[in-house]
Amino acid sequence: MQVADLNQIDLQALARGDKRSWDAFVGAAAPLINAMVRRALAPYGLGEEDVMDAAQDVFVRLCAQDFRLLRTYDPARAGLSTWLAVVARSAAIDHARRRRRPTQPLDEVPETALGVEDRHVEKLKIPQGLLTERQTLILRYLYDEEREVADIAQLLKVDPQTVRSTQHRALVRLRAYFREGTG
Amino acid sequence: MSTQRDDRPESDKELWRRLDADGAVEVQPVDEMEFAAWIEGRLNEAEAARLEASVAADPEMRRAALDVADILGMPLPAAPQRMVVQARALVGFEAERGGARMGFWGWLVNWMAPSALRPAAVTMAAIAIAVGGFTMGGGLGASFAQQQSDVDGIQKASSRSEVSADISEFFASDGI
Repeated sequence: MQVADLNQIDLQALARGDKRSWDAFVGAAAPLINAMVRRALAPYGLGEEDVMDAAQDVFVRLCAQDFRLLRTYDPARAGLSTWLAVVARSAAIDHARRRRRPTQPLDEVPETALGVEDRHVEKLKIPQGLLTERQTLILRYLYDEEREVADIAQLLKVDPQTVRSTQHRALVRLRAYFREGTG
Repeated sequence: MSTQRDDRPESDKELWRRLDADGAVEVQPVDEMEFAAWIEGRLNEAEAARLEASVAADPEMRRAALDVADILGMPLPAAPQRMVVQARALVGFEAERGGARMGFWGWLVNWMAPSALRPAAVTMAAIAIAVGGFTMGGGLGASFAQQQSDVDGIQKASSRSEVSADISEFFASDGI
């Protein structure tokens, strides 16, 4: 079954513990959970057995305590695939943290994370309300995570040009505020 | 996706590095359902702003959002069969689940309730078992036969002792 088949799962029967519904759900959800777990565990350098264990953790979470977590899913708020991906990633990260510390090749670490020169420099606090939440988020992605504009645009479901203009407006505000503040 | 870039104007980057954005937004806890709704763009403006503040403040949530959006946008390979088999085994058949939750008497009542034929079937089975066991044990006939056999045995033994006494008297009378 493909991920699209998740939409055909009878969620009420599944939450009642119906065996057939569970089997169908597992078949439909396994590719997504498998992919999400592998992605989440990649920075931790864990092996195939950990992928299998973490995936089982996800399924156990879903059916534990009479499907308590699964009952929290609300189709009116988000698609099942998206919610499952979030749950799977969360469970995989928990699994990885129990197993070991993450490792990441040095050339993949964002430059800002490697920098030590700022540690002894007192940073200027951005006052609350100067930037919108979205402006802050976009600057975080661009400068802290060093992500592509296209990636951010895809996540926020906006045009890449919107990301660039939001970035530009945020920087203008920051420069104006700190120019005024610092004279 | 998830490539990183290093071609932004150094001045912008330097400016950002000199700033501390941690206190710039108010952070609130986010549950998985809400996070999924935000990724799908289903939250209203106020809800989205609150959630974006939380995501902006947490590097792990920032990575999670990008990972989820990326995975959902790509074709997915099949999962290993072992993963599917193990996951399916986590949930048993309905009778097992019901039995485990309700205990024996609950299960029995539940099993009998849906059909009027079931009590009849149970009664018939009980009668069959009782009759079968009775027959295998020989029934009343065997019991009478055993008693009769015992009585006959006693009578025969008694008769044999009378014959024995006559023979003894005969030999004794001949002086043997």
